[in-house]
Amino acid sequence: MTDELRIAAVSRRPAIHIRVNGRSIAATPGETVLAALTAAGFSTLKKSNVRGEARGAFCGMGVCYECLVTVNGVPKQRSCMTEVQDNMEIQTYEPDPS
Amino acid sequence: MNQTQADVLIIGNGFAGIVAANRLADAAVDVVLLDENLHIGGQLLRQVPERLGRAASHADHVKKAGRRFIAGVKAKKITVLNRTRVLGIYPGHEVLIEENEKKVRTLKAGRIILATGGREKFLPFPGWTMPGVISGGAVQVLIKSSGVLPAREILVGGSGLFLFSVAYECLKAGGRVRAVLERTGMLDKLPLAAQLPRQWPKLIEGARFMSRIIFSGVPLRFRTRVVEARGRGRLEQVVAAKVDGSGKIIPGREKTYETPLLAVSHGFAANVELAQMAGCGIEFLDERGGWVAVTDDHLETSVPGIYAAGEITGIAGALKSINEGEIAALAILHKMEKCAESDFKARMKKLLAARRRHLQFGKYFNLLYRIPAADYLAIPDETLVCRCEDVTMGELRKAVANGYDTPATLKIPLRTAMGDCQGRTCGPIIYDILAALTGRSQADMTPLVVRPPVKPIKIDSLASFSE
Repeated sequence: MTDELRIAAVSRRPAIHIRVNGRSIAATPGETVLAALTAAGFSTLKKSNVRGEARGAFCGMGVCYECLVTVNGVPKQRSCMTEVQDNMEIQTYEPDPS
Repeated sequence: MNQTQADVLIIGNGFAGIVAANRLADAAVDVVLLDENLHIGGQLLRQVPERLGRAASHADHVKKAGRRFIAGVKAKKITVLNRTRVLGIYPGHEVLIEENEKKVRTLKAGRIILATGGREKFLPFPGWTMPGVISGGAVQVLIKSSGVLPAREILVGGSGLFLFSVAYECLKAGGRVRAVLERTGMLDKLPLAAQLPRQWPKLIEGARFMSRIIFSGVPLRFRTRVVEARGRGRLEQVVAAKVDGSGKIIPGREKTYETPLLAVSHGFAANVELAQMAGCGIEFLDERGGWVAVTDDHLETSVPGIYAAGEITGIAGALKSINEGEIAALAILHKMEKCAESDFKARMKKLLAARRRHLQFGKYFNLLYRIPAADYLAIPDETLVCRCEDVTMGELRKAVANGYDTPATLKIPLRTAMGDCQGRTCGPIIYDILAALTGRSQADMTPLVVRPPVKPIKIDSLASFSE
């Protein structure tokens, strides 16, 4: 199910695993944390600073700071600029897949 | 890696940067090439990284040239610093850099080339901050760098050629495109087409995009703009409306799309922040796509020894960036007395003639797709404009009415451009909105003065800097 969004024409290395909000998901070495989150159906990543509204990735290239997540306990990391590593712990502000 | 000096420091590893790096390295010039991204090649040359695997994709001749320049950078004696950010540029070409979000140090360069590229511009609408509304660039980055589609099916909206490029990439990757909603009418500004001389590579590329999109049965809706994104916590519906020739919404012609993902894009703005911080002059030119670095013919800025190449001098695409990378490198080689006078003159003459054509091409699209003031004035009060500090259009209107009508004074009541992105997302939007609300030209406004650090930095990183 998490492979539905992974493009079939791309040949991949064997999957690694990361934990998102305590749940294990598959990821591919070389992809960004944002790509792994997207493929697994996580789109709500942080709360906005003032109103506390749900936000997700917007620019995808390090400009907007809307895709901030906690990576291995370090808060406010840009998921679009961080490469996945095996056993990485990611915390979004709220889980959105069921 | 601990090099602290360089003949030439190139900031930005997109087309302009890698072309200049190759040419300088060929002449045994000591080059440091740095960029914030994980990989070489900038936004246009993004490709599935080797670690991930191989992608079945074909490249056009511009991208093939780009791949050769990337290979050149890797093979030649060039110091490459990826994941490295510039925090400040100080007098004497001293540059404060942060590597890998950890280590901060200074680097002193004989000359600097600013090849910082551009970023996307946006026209805010209610709901554009909701998860599921992403930039056209983000779609391309996900597909090209990580081999992941943002959703099985996407809706694309905004203005500019880039919309079609986004739709094309999505189709090519096996995704579906619900529709492309283009704000401009295809034939609205036909007279401007006289400014399109000898740009066959670009036009053929465009024709290829369009034919793939049309043959895939994707509806193309011109003079159509997104008016609202709706959903509970994340995107579910997009409302689009027809506009007339002046940009006014035609009542009763709304259409609602059910979609999990909307990709938006309204053209590009040059990244001039580092140029400003280095004290280089910038100017506002509609035909170049907004604020750009001022340079002489050889691309030297108003600060001696600092050059600007690529989108930072005007939005016009890859061919102009390649050309300007060549020009900046040649000008520097000449200054370093590594290039014979006659050779320099002949090559520079050719390059400058090509540059004029690229600028004409850019002018056509920059004027065609300029967002009209009416579109900004139509933004409803409750719409968020600054995403970092949750500032609404209504708050902007009120502040301007109260006399806070310049980029600098707006910060006082609203904190615009003071959040995490430091105004990089909302800055160009707010300049356009201020111009629309006050009727002034942006050329008469002073853009925000940029002070180091240009981007947020952790205290630990600063602590690592000792000297």
